[in-house]
Amino acid sequence: MALDRAVLAAHARGDCAALVTLYAQAAEGLAPQNAAFYLTHAYIFALEAGDPRADTLRDRLVAMGADQPHSVPGIETG
Amino acid sequence: MPKDSRLADLTAVRAPIEHAHGLPNAHYTDPDIIATETRAALETTWAALAVGADVPAPGDAKPITFLGQPLLLLRDDQNTVRVFYNVCRHRGMILVDTPRRIEGAIRCPYHSWCYAKDGRLVATPHVGGPGQNACDGIDRASLGLVEVASHIWRDVIFVNLSGDAPPFEDIHGDLLHRWAAFDQPLYHGGSDSTFTLDVATNWKLAVENYCESYHLPWVHPGLNSYSRLEDHYHIEEPGHFSGQGSYVYRQLSGVDGARFPDFKDLDAHWETGAEYIALYPNVLLGVHRDHAFAIVLEPVDTTRTREHVHLYYAAPDTDPALRAQNAAQWKEVFEEDIFVVEGMQKGRAATGFDGGRFSPAMDGPTHCFHAWIAARMEMIGD
Repeated sequence: MALDRAVLAAHARGDCAALVTLYAQAAEGLAPQNAAFYLTHAYIFALEAGDPRADTLRDRLVAMGADQPHSVPGIETG
Repeated sequence: MPKDSRLADLTAVRAPIEHAHGLPNAHYTDPDIIATETRAALETTWAALAVGADVPAPGDAKPITFLGQPLLLLRDDQNTVRVFYNVCRHRGMILVDTPRRIEGAIRCPYHSWCYAKDGRLVATPHVGGPGQNACDGIDRASLGLVEVASHIWRDVIFVNLSGDAPPFEDIHGDLLHRWAAFDQPLYHGGSDSTFTLDVATNWKLAVENYCESYHLPWVHPGLNSYSRLEDHYHIEEPGHFSGQGSYVYRQLSGVDGARFPDFKDLDAHWETGAEYIALYPNVLLGVHRDHAFAIVLEPVDTTRTREHVHLYYAAPDTDPALRAQNAAQWKEVFEEDIFVVEGMQKGRAATGFDGGRFSPAMDGPTHCFHAWIAARMEMIGD
């Protein structure tokens, strides 16, 4: 419940860095299908913020079969 | 209005100036005629949209509604400025609703599809179901933001909404050649060197007033004290641009005698020369030895125009006080024109007005613009 509240508070603040941390935390210990859902959220907010954790999160999603590799490796956001 | 009578009216517009009439009232008051004219003069040409200085840093994004189209001005990390339709390729949601800096990617606020600053679609979360971010049929490589044809010249960003205009350099080669001496770095003066005037007039009247010098002694008596009517000459390039030049430009001087630095390697003509040109359809440009300006005319609706004024210098670090003085001086001049363009707009409600007659000696640049509008109308009507 504390994590839920923290996620909602981070959304309310528009705090992308916190959302990346909290959604990644939410994925911990879950089965891959469920983890991919939360990691996707962590990845998207990292992407939006230009947060360097985006690359690692994407790699994890690709390794899980939840996303596709970039067609232009290393060019995340132009 | 039946097509035949419209064409007859425009034949009169294109007549030699001694016999010509101005554009009929309907071009300033009738939404149907103006819609056709918008297609002819603004959507199928290279229309001015904004300036590069509106998005000065990498990642800067500015939404602009232009001719009813939601557009997005975007500077990427390599400093390339592009114009896109400001809508997600998924459900058509508006992507950016206020000017802001994009740090990483543009995230659609609806389903969070993400776009790179160069327009590529880079993420489609849950598009294949929860936790599955790719699926057959959603080809990211073909679903980037839809780009609008654009061209930047003298920091002005031009767009061709129809996407089928000939290249900008081909259409405007004459002006590029005329002002080749000024083809050198321009530095926007920053926040103290831009202002916007909201004017109750059709955008064309701002063009018409700008490109002739006939009104100067009456509307701008302050200017006339040193820049008399006889110190000006007409500039007319049918089909492309028209305006006026001055032989007696006097540099602004600060309290300590300081002046703006000059653009490099200008010939003797520009020591006291200045030129003010309306580049068709909707940008008003001025050049002098030490500064330049661009006025982007935003046609808000049939009877409202926003004039976005931007001042530029030859160096990036000019004196702020002198810049402020220059901006104030130009603002005073442009504000003096407001009652004229608003008055002419009101006058277009007079059913007895026949478009007006032109002074063959003084109104050539205005007639040149009217003839261009008429030609565009006839072209699109063919």
